[in-house]
Amino acid sequence: MSLARAERRRFFKRRLTRWVFPIGLLLLVTIASILFAFHSKPTAEARARGEVAAEAMYQEQVRYYEQYKRECGEKCPEDGWTGPQRSDFRAEDFMPPSFDFKSMYGELFLVWAAIMAMVAFLLGASFVGAEWASGSMMNLLTWQPKRMKVLGTKLGVMLLSVAALSILALGVWTGILWAAGELRGTTEGLTPGVWQSFGLTALRGLGMILAFGALGFGLASIGRHTGLALGAALAVVIVGQVGLTILFQMVRVPFWEQYLVPIHIFAWMNKEMKLVDWSSPETVCDNAGNCNPPELLITWQDSGSMALGLVAVVLVLAFWQMRRRDIS
Amino acid sequence: MTAVLEIQGLRKTYRARGGPRRALDGFEMYVEAGQVHGFLGPNGSGKTTTLRTLLGLIKPDSGEMRILGHELPRHLPQVVAQVGAIVESPQFFAHFTARDTLSLLADAGSLPKERVDWALELVGLRERAKERVKTYSLGMKQRLAVASALLKQPKLLILDEPANGLDPGGIREMRDMMATLSAGGMTVVLSSHILGEIQLICDSVTIISLGRRVAAGPVAEVLQAHSSGQVRVALETPADLSAAAQVLIAAGFQLQANTDHLTLSGVDKPALVARLLAERQLYVSELTPVTADLESVFLELTGTAPVPGQVRSVDQSVRPELTPQNGVGA
Repeated sequence: MSLARAERRRFFKRRLTRWVFPIGLLLLVTIASILFAFHSKPTAEARARGEVAAEAMYQEQVRYYEQYKRECGEKCPEDGWTGPQRSDFRAEDFMPPSFDFKSMYGELFLVWAAIMAMVAFLLGASFVGAEWASGSMMNLLTWQPKRMKVLGTKLGVMLLSVAALSILALGVWTGILWAAGELRGTTEGLTPGVWQSFGLTALRGLGMILAFGALGFGLASIGRHTGLALGAALAVVIVGQVGLTILFQMVRVPFWEQYLVPIHIFAWMNKEMKLVDWSSPETVCDNAGNCNPPELLITWQDSGSMALGLVAVVLVLAFWQMRRRDIS
Repeated sequence: MTAVLEIQGLRKTYRARGGPRRALDGFEMYVEAGQVHGFLGPNGSGKTTTLRTLLGLIKPDSGEMRILGHELPRHLPQVVAQVGAIVESPQFFAHFTARDTLSLLADAGSLPKERVDWALELVGLRERAKERVKTYSLGMKQRLAVASALLKQPKLLILDEPANGLDPGGIREMRDMMATLSAGGMTVVLSSHILGEIQLICDSVTIISLGRRVAAGPVAEVLQAHSSGQVRVALETPADLSAAAQVLIAAGFQLQANTDHLTLSGVDKPALVARLLAERQLYVSELTPVTADLESVFLELTGTAPVPGQVRSVDQSVRPELTPQNGVGA
């Protein structure tokens, strides 16, 4: 426990923790504040203005349609279209947007999870990488020679601390978005089922944040330097994502998007991601333009198990080399 | 006396690009309780590898090590609370204060907070304890490192180059501190290149060269064993020096005549010199052995004395044969 207490103190005393987390939080607050600022409560006056604008647009489209019919006469194609429908022109589409908490909050979990995942990766990598680079790890091991215990405690403390910071950030994020719903939209329709769905999405988001933290920690521990984790992240982005995208598109790999990290992040957070291969020779379209290209469904379980496997491999390597390698 | 530290037949080979490099080759070392023990060796001789191996940072290929009777590295966790150490240059987080640095270590070792102030006071950093380490000079960082090693109030204190970066006053303070700690029962292993300091501070020494022990024992004995057997002879009447020289040459001694004394070489029994001269009514006023200092013994044993016009490479020193006195191979 004393080692865990010391590591927790060390984590929160670190300059990077004191800078990176507030920056991440500031980013979230800024985004939430922009969402707040660009939405407004639907008033009777705004609705009346929306109705007028919708009606004007409808009338304009009717005029265009009638002009078109006059110009083409009997040559007009028999496509069954009878012109613009009044029901397609809704007042809501011509009103300033209002913030519907129920529909928007769930989608915005991705923003919180992505920003905090970056924060977690940096903090995780630096927490152990800077210890190695500065010689503090060697110093600590002269106090606690059980290497597995030291690395395990550091990992545990880092994950718990990152989880606490992420929950704090989620609280702030939720607070501002709730205020946006209350003051600039609506918070109606929040049944227990909706809250349960939010809770599960938040848990998946937290899982993603912790996975990024563990990945940064593991990579920096293997390389005994923060730079290795950052270099690996840069290599994945540049070589693994941009490079692979170009290569796969050139050689027409079917469903090449499945090799991109953002697709799996999206699948994880939104439960599933459907990929469509429009370039496949199997794609058949009928005369009305309806096509049936091959589809690939990536579920959150697929993405989660892959991420879990990757994190496990990196951490096993980190602990193995901590046990085996000399410290010099 | 009880051995606080025992090393026998310690071997460690590093894999390097130019082929395997033997850092320790059957190294032996014994340190008795309450002593200040100097651990000397040229650069690359295996000093730091030995200390790191003792502290569990490096795994040896073979050999036996014990601290306070506990077999290492197996029982290191049981004994580590009684071992304070600094290995090579002290490195700390630059943005932490000295107090934070020590307080985190105290937490990790389940030590009372009061110990932090005690250690800071002992090394003279209490007044600057709230300043960030990045504002410290090398000497102050060195003091902080020593404070971190003392924090445990250990039975065995291992210090690698503790005087590095200290000003003359700091070096003297460090020397006094070693003496105080030793007097209080603490055993100190001190690795340093300031041989004059080692000679002043240490009760015993171990000298290592290319991974093997070349000399060990109480400082006086090591110096005596490696002195040249020279004796300085002065007479009550300096005018009799030439007559005395003739007597001693006739008796088979090799000597060098100086203006006020003679220097004799290869003297086993200085009393014989006094007797020979007294028989000729030549009376000795001074008959003292010319003792070598630790630096010259070190340079001789390790073969690292500079030669004019030659540049010595780092690994160019003496590798002694393994004998019962210095290793397990005999």
